[in-house]
Amino acid sequence: MNLLETTWEALRLLVSLDPGLWQIIWVSLKVSIGALLLVSPPAIAAGYLLATHRFFGRRFLIVVTQALFAFPTVVVGLLLYMMLSRQGPFGTMQLLFSQPAMVIGQMIIAAPILVAFTLSAVQGADPRARETAIVLGAGKLRTAWTLLREVRFAVMAAVFNGFGRVISEVGCSLMVGGNIAGLTRNIPTAIALETTKGEFAQGVALGIVLMVLALAVNFAMAWLQGEGARR
Amino acid sequence: MLLEVAGLKVRAGHTTLIDIGQLALERGRGYLLSGENGAGKTTLLRALAGLQPADAQRCAFDGRAFVLAPYPAALRRRIAFVHQHPYVFDGGVHDNLAYGLRACGASRAQIAGRVAAAAAWAGIAHLEEREAKLLSAGEKQRLALARAHILDPDLYLLDEPTANLDEDGRRIVISLIEALGREGKTLLVACHDRELLSLPAVERLHIAMGRAQAGTPRR
Repeated sequence: MNLLETTWEALRLLVSLDPGLWQIIWVSLKVSIGALLLVSPPAIAAGYLLATHRFFGRRFLIVVTQALFAFPTVVVGLLLYMMLSRQGPFGTMQLLFSQPAMVIGQMIIAAPILVAFTLSAVQGADPRARETAIVLGAGKLRTAWTLLREVRFAVMAAVFNGFGRVISEVGCSLMVGGNIAGLTRNIPTAIALETTKGEFAQGVALGIVLMVLALAVNFAMAWLQGEGARR
Repeated sequence: MLLEVAGLKVRAGHTTLIDIGQLALERGRGYLLSGENGAGKTTLLRALAGLQPADAQRCAFDGRAFVLAPYPAALRRRIAFVHQHPYVFDGGVHDNLAYGLRACGASRAQIAGRVAAAAAWAGIAHLEEREAKLLSAGEKQRLALARAHILDPDLYLLDEPTANLDEDGRRIVISLIEALGREGKTLLVACHDRELLSLPAVERLHIAMGRAQAGTPRR
């Protein structure tokens, strides 16, 4: 099958709403969006605290967070696998090869991005914003909310960036999800599997979905950065 | 006395930015803080507003002793600070005016009434629905004064409120500061503005090399 025929077949699979294909897309979106919804509030709060508070070990935490940016997802998967396997400390929870395990893995992968981007956004905010909130009597929570609201476009860009990273990662999902059809098979693991089987059409169809998602995320980020700069 | 501070020091590393032996502000009086650029006027205002780490041997507000760190939350309602270039939050003028009231848990009805009154006081009632970030420098200064006024503080710390304003903006801001004086508010205003310096019933404080001296009272 040549490239043109493969692409045509891939488009046909997408348009015909092939249940197997859309099941994979659904698992991908469910796991990645779920992971982001769970990790965003604590990661954004951590980024805010790192930006606004001075404490012992702060510099070290920032360096570690930035280093985790480049941490290979397959290593995150390996470490999580060891934690969740039967002999691991969390083995009794029987989470290995399940969607929750994939969610946990993606949360770990997205967290440093969210923390570092939020830290940078809050540090880049006008210091008068925080001071104005304080002198007008805002408590710590309201001040934090106000400041995060002032830099919301940068924070939203961080969330989109995190989504871009987790939706396309294959290493961790493969290790802790196990690529089980209809349960933990997501877009990247399915592409890897279908390609090895020689089923290029499904791989290309999923690749198209992944590229559309990546493009949408990039457009959203570009728009948000433009909005942030405009204000 | 409304505010008394003794032995106030602000340091940055090993450098002492300001070292003020005694500062006493009488209730209902206006004080104009003059001095060269870098003399420490803004630093002093920021220290009194709790925005700048500072040490003091003794502080008392309205006869009650307090410490500068941690800054007492109760004082936030009684001491207003307005930046030289006020920051306005993203959103409308109305939301900016309502910010402090929301922070202290005022009801929707209270907020509506007091916001309208504050906007009218500052002459920005016609701007209430406008995006705050789109206001001119003079309008932002009036918004900032109204945003402080709405909380009815006893002491206003104003940092160069007329700097970089056009003539009309300057005159309106000066008239608002005069109105605060007539309301019996205590004002500590850092400024270089000759018109403000020549206002009646104000006392001049001069700050040089981080040390404050009382000037000749003008009545």
